[in-house]
Amino acid sequence: MSDVIGDVSKPDRLDVLLTEYFRPETAPAGLARRIAAAARESGSALERLERRLGIEATSRGVSLVRTGRPAKPATAAARRLAEQAREEIHEYLRGQRAFFRVPVDLTAVPDFQRRVLEAAEHIPFGEARPYAWIAARIGHPRAVRAVGTALGRNPVPLILPCHRVWRSDGGLGGYIFGAGIKDGLAALERTTPVLEGCTSTRIVCRVGCIHGRHMRPDNRVVFASVDDARSVGYRPCKVCRPAA
Amino acid sequence: MADERGLMARVARGDQAAFGDLAQRYSPKLLAVAGRLLGSRADAEDAVQRAFLQCYAGAAGYNARWAVSTWLYRILTNVCVDELRRRATRTAHDERSAPGAFSAASGNHQPPAAYLDLHRALARVPREARVLLALRYVDGLSYGELARIRGISINTVKSQLARGKTLLRDELGKRGAGHE
Repeated sequence: MSDVIGDVSKPDRLDVLLTEYFRPETAPAGLARRIAAAARESGSALERLERRLGIEATSRGVSLVRTGRPAKPATAAARRLAEQAREEIHEYLRGQRAFFRVPVDLTAVPDFQRRVLEAAEHIPFGEARPYAWIAARIGHPRAVRAVGTALGRNPVPLILPCHRVWRSDGGLGGYIFGAGIKDGLAALERTTPVLEGCTSTRIVCRVGCIHGRHMRPDNRVVFASVDDARSVGYRPCKVCRPAA
Repeated sequence: MADERGLMARVARGDQAAFGDLAQRYSPKLLAVAGRLLGSRADAEDAVQRAFLQCYAGAAGYNARWAVSTWLYRILTNVCVDELRRRATRTAHDERSAPGAFSAASGNHQPPAAYLDLHRALARVPREARVLLALRYVDGLSYGELARIRGISINTVKSQLARGKTLLRDELGKRGAGHE
């Protein structure tokens, strides 16, 4: 079916060693059944959450993400931003976006809480940090409880990632949409790639970049770093700037 | 080959039995690739499961000009490479951070003693070359297939493999277990 190892030279000892090392493994009994079962149940809780979300925006940015009916946008600019947020959240919850571009409006948020939320934004996609990490980062190492409260009142959850803050013992901690959703988001981010290249343009983007939106699935390759992508002939996108 | 494409068409229509067949047929090789790249059996099973889920969800977008194996290897290497990225970020954080942060749950899977030197030497090969070596040796894939799986040129495949093998020879030589 597949070609034999097509080296011009005869296989040497290293080839033999590598072939042995990479020999196929026995699949555990029931793996196929487990996969089929997982295929039936994936993603439903997050999809239900998305249907219930109401998004409010001002002309400066998104100001509220909550379940329930949102207030009507006051201006056309606000309506556009709320629509953009809905679209980005939709892509994020489907594993097609690893960053948010839509601006947020935190002008109504007290100073301490704003610093907490900005610190949370520095937690990389797919990672988690303890409440104490945030407290230390904003220069109030003893204010762990206040950090928890500030995150709990995050006006724009999902977009500002308070769900990436967990307890120091690895426990989930609370979440505005419930612990089940917090856990679901962690699982989602663990399976959403961050950098993807397009095989026809040889450009590497952050997942969610406008370039990637029209990429055919068979043109998509994932990279672990921009340097890795460069090493095999890709260049970073000038729109989403994955190296920055 | 034709029957494999037929299998994919059934998977795209949501045929669970066909999906089971596909998983059964390709799991051993996918597990070997993922296991060697990620270093643990549990992580490998997780990666293979995720790859099959993506394959199931995206079966309708499968390009019938491709061999099914090429498509599956593409999806699997995408999953594994992203997992390697995550580990690199996590390790960087753990090295900098104070106690109280989460520990990296990296696999401490030890291969059989005979391959320990090779295992360690491979860890020094750059990621992209390591991925290509795994695909090359687990299934004897051609340069053309490797190029298609990673979306790179055939010349890049060749130079990456050559560079990877040179590094391996150097490393194994240092340990006194290299080729003659």
